[in-house]
Amino acid sequence: MSLKYLLISIASLLLLEVTSLASSLKDSMSFGINTYNDNADVQVYSPTLSLFKKVSHQWMIGVKMRIDTISAASIRNGANAGHVDAVTAASSTEDALYDDIRYAPTLMATYDDGENMLSFGAYYSTEIDYTGKAVFANYVRQLNEQNTAIGIGFSQSFDKWHPVYDRALPKDYRNERKIDLSINQLISPTFSMQAVYSYMYSEGFLSSPYHYVLQNNIAKFENYPDIRVGNAFALKGVYLFNDANAMNFSYRYYFDDWDITSHTINIEELHDFSSQFTSGIRFRYYTQTESNFVKDIGDYSLSDEYFATDYRMSAFNSYTIGVPFIYKKSNGDRVSASIDYYQTTDNDYVKSWYGVNSISAVFTTLSYEFDY
Amino acid sequence: MLRLVLVLFSLFFVGCSEHLVRVMPYEKEYFSQDKMSLSPLGERAEQEGHIYLIREASAGGESAFQGGCGCR
Repeated sequence: MSLKYLLISIASLLLLEVTSLASSLKDSMSFGINTYNDNADVQVYSPTLSLFKKVSHQWMIGVKMRIDTISAASIRNGANAGHVDAVTAASSTEDALYDDIRYAPTLMATYDDGENMLSFGAYYSTEIDYTGKAVFANYVRQLNEQNTAIGIGFSQSFDKWHPVYDRALPKDYRNERKIDLSINQLISPTFSMQAVYSYMYSEGFLSSPYHYVLQNNIAKFENYPDIRVGNAFALKGVYLFNDANAMNFSYRYYFDDWDITSHTINIEELHDFSSQFTSGIRFRYYTQTESNFVKDIGDYSLSDEYFATDYRMSAFNSYTIGVPFIYKKSNGDRVSASIDYYQTTDNDYVKSWYGVNSISAVFTTLSYEFDY
Repeated sequence: MLRLVLVLFSLFFVGCSEHLVRVMPYEKEYFSQDKMSLSPLGERAEQEGHIYLIREASAGGESAFQGGCGCR
């Protein structure tokens, strides 16, 4: 038998198997609004909309739209009202210039035959000083009578900076590549676990075009290495204690070639108050080390190659505590909501840039989902 | 690192999963409940994923796509 006929035979068998399996795709729609407010004068209100439509038994197309309306004094002068920016020459009278609206549509298609699921799509976002473009694909294969699922995901972004003032950046782009490998395993009828590995490669202008070091006789824009390689391992699980109570938990270990390492723990308890209403409480703890090029405030010299004032390049911890709500109507429509409080530990760079000891934020979500 | 993980992933893919415990279809009713999802609120997961990308220096481990923005 020639190779050609062998390949045709294998393809036919696969096609037969694929078309005989059930698909779980549904026509569905959701809309909602998310908010974010912090003590660094950042307020974001984000209406969201998603629409998914089956175009055949096993194919579905979808569109998601997110609009971020952003009020962010911190973009200007570190939220120091009246302080003239010595580097950009922006002043507090230019407040309106930095208020921004970000439009972020995503187009996607999904194939699902019950054992194989393939999703792919494209993302685009535009705001006053940044354009994001990305493509992504994700494949999940069910194995072992749907007790095991193995997934591989890939995304590549091609983003572009265009600062609101006339500054020639050393590189005006930021390209990021991400590969995710995941394994889901049912451990028992009441316990499942997932392991995820992510590889991330970033290249281009990786700092903010607005942050700068201002000390003694030094006035320098932030400058980071233009390549960053990160790795993350995550282990997640969900366990049912009894008919009404379940616990979600996850741990993530992250490290990169800037010497930043972090540990993240998330625990969430959910309780069914009735057959329609579920709520609970969640807690998240995050801790990270500093990058290998950040220095204490006042320690930079003109001979330094890299400059960082963003607190995210320094060591800090953060905590999140929140309450989720899920309400299911008798017709299957679903309303979900959440409110979370986020707090970082005290940090010198937060104090220097934002004028507060730590970042405190409240973020909420509200979403209504239904099949049509 | 990526190569090592790919090798381990491939080994798992080619047969190890067949030897794991099996939960029968009639025993899976709990996994259809919201509280038994690894991500019970998808909208919150997307929102907080974006916030943590902006407020912290780590990423990954989510097996989900997050688009870029200038706020990072």
